[in-house]
Amino acid sequence: MTRETQSTPAASTRVQRLGAGELSVDIRTPDLEVNFGPQHPATHGVMRILMRADGELVTGAQPHLGYLHRCAEKIGENVEWLQYLPYTDRYDYLASMNNNLGYSLAVEALLGVEIPRRATLIRIICAELNRIGSHLVAFGTYGLDIGAFTPFLYTFREREWMMALFEKICGARLTYSYIRIGGLFNDAPPGWFEEVSRFCDVFEQKWQEYVDLLLVNQIYVKRTANIGIISREMALDFGLTGPMVRGSGIDWDLRRDMPYMCYDEIWRSGAFKIPIARGEMGALGDCWDRSWVRVMEMIESIKIVRWCLDNMVEGPVIADIPKTLKVPVGEAYVGIENPRGELGHYVVSDGGKVSIRTRVRGPSFCNLAVLEDILPGSLVGDAIAIIGSTDIVVGETDR
Amino acid sequence: MDFQAIHDRLRAVAAPGLVGADLPRKPDPKVKKDKGRAGDPFVIVEAQRLVEFLEVCRDDDRLKFEQLVDLSATDPAKDDAQLWINVQLLSLKFRHRLSIKCLLPKAAPSMPSTVPVYRASQWHERECAEMFGITFVGHPDPRNILLPDDWVGSPLRKDYEFPKEYHGISCE
Repeated sequence: MTRETQSTPAASTRVQRLGAGELSVDIRTPDLEVNFGPQHPATHGVMRILMRADGELVTGAQPHLGYLHRCAEKIGENVEWLQYLPYTDRYDYLASMNNNLGYSLAVEALLGVEIPRRATLIRIICAELNRIGSHLVAFGTYGLDIGAFTPFLYTFREREWMMALFEKICGARLTYSYIRIGGLFNDAPPGWFEEVSRFCDVFEQKWQEYVDLLLVNQIYVKRTANIGIISREMALDFGLTGPMVRGSGIDWDLRRDMPYMCYDEIWRSGAFKIPIARGEMGALGDCWDRSWVRVMEMIESIKIVRWCLDNMVEGPVIADIPKTLKVPVGEAYVGIENPRGELGHYVVSDGGKVSIRTRVRGPSFCNLAVLEDILPGSLVGDAIAIIGSTDIVVGETDR
Repeated sequence: MDFQAIHDRLRAVAAPGLVGADLPRKPDPKVKKDKGRAGDPFVIVEAQRLVEFLEVCRDDDRLKFEQLVDLSATDPAKDDAQLWINVQLLSLKFRHRLSIKCLLPKAAPSMPSTVPVYRASQWHERECAEMFGITFVGHPDPRNILLPDDWVGSPLRKDYEFPKEYHGISCE
């Protein structure tokens, strides 16, 4: 290149003539803006993150939500109390039982109705089985995002059995509408409890497979340890809950600390523990710690299910609730421990058949806010691992 | 601490903006048509002083509300001239919750942003702003969060009218 053929250099380049026929050109490249989503297999739903990257280094990340916004809260003001239940299934569709439970408990707090003991125990069994199912998806698809294709189908093998159990009890595999205001939709069919017990026995062996195959796998550890570190202060400031906060070493679980249904009884009997991350493989609060918490929680859920099976009682499964429900005037907030964090329902009633406000505090929505702060500074490949470790379901982020 | 103890503590430290409390009660037999109130107790705080109030809640040794769990708004009725702001706080240390309600005039709903106190409210305030038309003064990033950037109207208000079309697509 000679000087004569060189076109006018742009303002950001610096051209230096080194010798005969030699030029050095400094080019400053601007940061690249990449759309991560809305259509992307690793975003766990339709979510768009506008990433700014300087080469491989992420310098900015801005989540854009709303692609799956289905106006759940507005619909809550237009349909009757009992009719709203199927909508609750669909925000966090991987843990529908827990969503139903959260909504039912919030309305029951206003109604002041007593739930039969058998219904409470079956509710806990269903909620914990669904927690296992949700963590299986979280763990399996997290491995898939990172590149581990095998464990994904291993986890889905158990999940199929869990969904078959739920199909036997309520007819649906994913969005159950089984836990209703006042109790349950119907009683468990004969033989269901025996099959749940068999599932618990088999699951414990299979769980060991997940740990051996993926959790302590050196490649997985290298890809997830020491990245996406969420400090304790950040976790509290951002209102993070669930495995996000236990993965940062904070000892908090609503089932033990603000118990609902009969979790306080189960805790006092010593049936289960709360796994709190200790930073075994890297810094405390990294992605590995969060996935460790989820894997450990699956075994603790099995112990809770076993306790409920051992202490099952006979009796009705639903309290006496009229078909057209009128909830007394008032407002209540009830938060439960969803697989993703604290799912809160804030319901306001003016005494009528329809709620005047059904606010859903989705844990995925609150957990996602931390991405704007932890993604910058990581590599693009690590960004995928960090997003997967927040375990979001976009149905709950957008509602 | 239960709600009564929390409320007493708030009064003892003269928490700014504290107006009063509302407790659930049975219907008063002497008053006709009184339906009483079910559910949770809450404190009522002046919206313009919510930021200082939340600082006291977060920092006081006996309250220690480390987390803001939820910040949302409610439009109680079409003919009601006020909007409610509902805040749920959580203390991990003392295992207690607090529900706070602020009242905003519907005609000009504007209040200082609580983001300096809890980062958690950043996204919650964005959602309230777009759904109810509330302005949070000093919010670092006041963009729409769930709705498209060019959405007209505040959907969760009771007098919201659904658009007939959006960008030429019919919404009927």
